[in-house]
Amino acid sequence: MMLGRTLLLAAIAMVLHAAYSVYEHLSYLKALGKPEGTLPQDIVVEVIAAMFIGILGASLNNPQLKEITWRSEMKKRKMDEMDARPGFANYTHRGNSLFGVSK
Amino acid sequence: MSASLSEALQKLANYRSKNSRESLRVFELGAPLLSNDKWMKQKGDGADSYTWLEQLALAAIDVGRTGVADKCIEILSAKFPESPRVDCLAGIYIEATESPEAALRYYQNLLEKDESNAAAWKRQISALRHLGKLDVAVDELSKFLDTYYTDLEGWLELADIYSTCGRYDHALESLQHAMLLAPQNPFYVLQAAETGYTLGDLPLAIKFFMTVVDMTTSDEEEKAGDSVPDGITLRAWFGVKQCTRGLLQDVRGTAYSNTKSRVSPPTAAHLALLDELSTERLLTAYSTSTSSTAKGICGRDALVRWLEGK
Repeated sequence: MMLGRTLLLAAIAMVLHAAYSVYEHLSYLKALGKPEGTLPQDIVVEVIAAMFIGILGASLNNPQLKEITWRSEMKKRKMDEMDARPGFANYTHRGNSLFGVSK
Repeated sequence: MSASLSEALQKLANYRSKNSRESLRVFELGAPLLSNDKWMKQKGDGADSYTWLEQLALAAIDVGRTGVADKCIEILSAKFPESPRVDCLAGIYIEATESPEAALRYYQNLLEKDESNAAAWKRQISALRHLGKLDVAVDELSKFLDTYYTDLEGWLELADIYSTCGRYDHALESLQHAMLLAPQNPFYVLQAAETGYTLGDLPLAIKFFMTVVDMTTSDEEEKAGDSVPDGITLRAWFGVKQCTRGLLQDVRGTAYSNTKSRVSPPTAAHLALLDELSTERLLTAYSTSTSSTAKGICGRDALVRWLEGK
């Protein structure tokens, strides 16, 4: 789904942006000389928002759901498939005469 | 060009997954690939990229092009020397080209070398059966199934051999083992129902037919009330109708009184209701053209005549 994919991409972009902001903030603090400062609030909010949007996007971005019941699976099968018994198949039949090339 | 190669391999894989024996079609798809040699450059060196060769060899043997089969077996035995699977394939080639005794000697040889080669044992049993030695084949197959109980194919083959001889009671027993091993599969229940009906055990047959209907109809369809039976559900409804007819005619139960299963028949009231229900279901099936019956409704007159008869 298009919506799922765009949301997922937006969430990834937000996480990358937040990561870069943290890096910038830390280098700013290092420049000021107090490297143990706390992280600004808005970066935390951005990361958490990215998580929720990412979850939403990942849930919507999925392939077509398939049925899980045996019933729906058996509906697609045919009698010949079920009774095929390939390990015991017979190869001494008239196929040679009917389809083979004449020597 | 590689698109058509992967497309062809995809179609072959499709045939493999369905166990379908479309030998001429497989041969037409696969033989050009073989002569082309381009498939060798495909990714993967494991067994998976070579399974289509086995499929092609079997299809070639089926349509009598033993040259192509020979070439496939050569490639496979060069790639996988001393493989039991390739040995079996070579055995099948011998079965098709030489006398059955030669094939039996070959399989005997294989089994002496390696006791645990189940596939070779299966081929030996198959060769014995198609040679005509049914009693030996049944003995060997019973021994095989004692050793490898969970081999579903083996139980089905045993049921088939017994059915062709008319020993429907033993066939029913084998099918019961098959049903134990694949409990979710309605096809084997249908086969057991029809075998039971042929045996004369109508209460068992009607019970199994109703089980098939139950397995193949979903609850939402039943509640909607306008579902049209098709596929094996329709076949099961035919079975129910035949059973109710037989049971209504044989009220005292003389025909099925000495069967092994001792299933009690439905009560008279239930029997009448089942009769009515199955008639209604059959008429619905032949009155509406579903999307699967593109030809439209045909056979309704014949059905009505059959329902009114007897």
